[in-house]
Amino acid sequence: MVSMKQAEPVTAGASPVVELRDIHKSFGALEVLKGISFTAREGQVVSLIGSSGSGKSTLLRCINMLEVPDRGDVLIDGEAVALSGDGPARRIGDENQIRRIRSELGMVFQSFNLWAHMTVLGNVMEAPLVVQKRDRAEVEAEARAMLDKVGIGSKADAYPAQLSGGQQQRAAIARALCINPRVMLFDEPTSALDPELEVEVLRVIKLLADEGRTMILVTHDMDFARSVSDRVIFLHQGLIEEEGTPDEVFGATKSARLKQFLNAANHA
Amino acid sequence: MFEDLAFWVSYITNGKHLTWYASFQFTIYAALLGGALAVIFGLTGATLKNSRFAVLRLIGTIYSSIVRGVPDVLFFLFFPLAFEQAVEWFVATQVCTPESIAAQTSPWPPCREANWFLGTTEYLLLASVSLGLVYGAFATNVIHGAMRAVPAGQLEAARAYGMSASQVLWRVHIRQMWVYALPGLSNVWMLIVKATSLLSLLQIADIVLWADRLGAPNFLPTVGLVHDDWRWRYYLVLFLFYILVTWLSERAFEAIMRRAGRGILSEVPA
Repeated sequence: MVSMKQAEPVTAGASPVVELRDIHKSFGALEVLKGISFTAREGQVVSLIGSSGSGKSTLLRCINMLEVPDRGDVLIDGEAVALSGDGPARRIGDENQIRRIRSELGMVFQSFNLWAHMTVLGNVMEAPLVVQKRDRAEVEAEARAMLDKVGIGSKADAYPAQLSGGQQQRAAIARALCINPRVMLFDEPTSALDPELEVEVLRVIKLLADEGRTMILVTHDMDFARSVSDRVIFLHQGLIEEEGTPDEVFGATKSARLKQFLNAANHA
Repeated sequence: MFEDLAFWVSYITNGKHLTWYASFQFTIYAALLGGALAVIFGLTGATLKNSRFAVLRLIGTIYSSIVRGVPDVLFFLFFPLAFEQAVEWFVATQVCTPESIAAQTSPWPPCREANWFLGTTEYLLLASVSLGLVYGAFATNVIHGAMRAVPAGQLEAARAYGMSASQVLWRVHIRQMWVYALPGLSNVWMLIVKATSLLSLLQIADIVLWADRLGAPNFLPTVGLVHDDWRWRYYLVLFLFYILVTWLSERAFEAIMRRAGRGILSEVPA
């Protein structure tokens, strides 16, 4: 089967941008992640798929420490995120380091999470101004360019509540782009959207993938994962059940659980 | 008839009435300063109640639950007196000599040098702090509840983009909290405005005290017009004043709400 992705597959030789090593995470008695390792390299698009509760969102949130893993390490550009303590008591070890690292990870949430009291432009400019402390004029020019890129340049002065879900999510993507991220992290970016609004967001994400941005994407949309990814990881009950190129994972599925999952997804 | 008018104009502009009018400023100062302090104490209390540390949470909880239950009149009497005597006691430990203590005839303060004379300004400050402390306990609860109403996802997004804890707190959390807190805070503000009628308890010659004096029946031509018990007329003026303040407050809160709710309240168009 021919890959639907147009760009050249990223070679395994590119430098690792995000590296997870043996990540464990429990919430109370519930063990959500049971030892997961993977690497996203420069320019790669990695999709995390799996049924609800398989731990894919939690795994994504461990990358920028919105959830602190109980065990295991996260490395961004080869730099290990400092953590202190053990198990459930494990905490961020160095506030300055995590803030610096987070300011290079562009997170896009399922429920957009735009700051309601700021205009769209304000949302996009906020982190570059107050976290990265960049020049206002330069940031504004870049923010407007990003909004044009995602197709909502005319909505710069509107408030998030005045936009459709698809427009809000595109504003959230512009917000992530404007920090010049090393990696874009997408946490089910279209799950809260109606199908007709989903398309406009997927088009933007595809555009970014084709630009060669490094992205990690948690998604329910198998067709999209297949068309956009360099690498697909199927999580099942907190472990990696199967991983590989889209052709391998979707075209030559090995695991019975993944077959079952893909069947269910196709009939959804 | 014109002479009558001239008489009444001169009556209501005589020295004692002018002093009464001037005393409205004490009420306004106390309300504004007390209100500002209540918000500051409320923010502090709410932050304590949200603290990661159990001790601070306990302090915040004790403050909001105990102080809310104390009658404001009682606290008004207690706090300034206790504060004054505490200062005098402390000063006494520094300045009193055995001779000066022996020379002191009244039971308090320990020596004359330690006496702290409180004028209207000092009492006004103490009154404002009392108002701030009492109503700050209510504001603590209002703000604490409002903080919890701010969508958690937006705070998480702020953290995910590298904001520090204090940036998240001030730029997103507190900024959005006002919309949820303002209805409750406007109640607290109206209670503070009403409580300013207690200023005379602290020996401040305020609007209530003057209304009382001017309206009391008097039979001495030297104090102005000889009249019967006219207090209800003077109290009526106070009623009107407080109604005016209420009306102004409501307009002000509406304006603040429009500003704070921009983008958050759906009824506000762009």
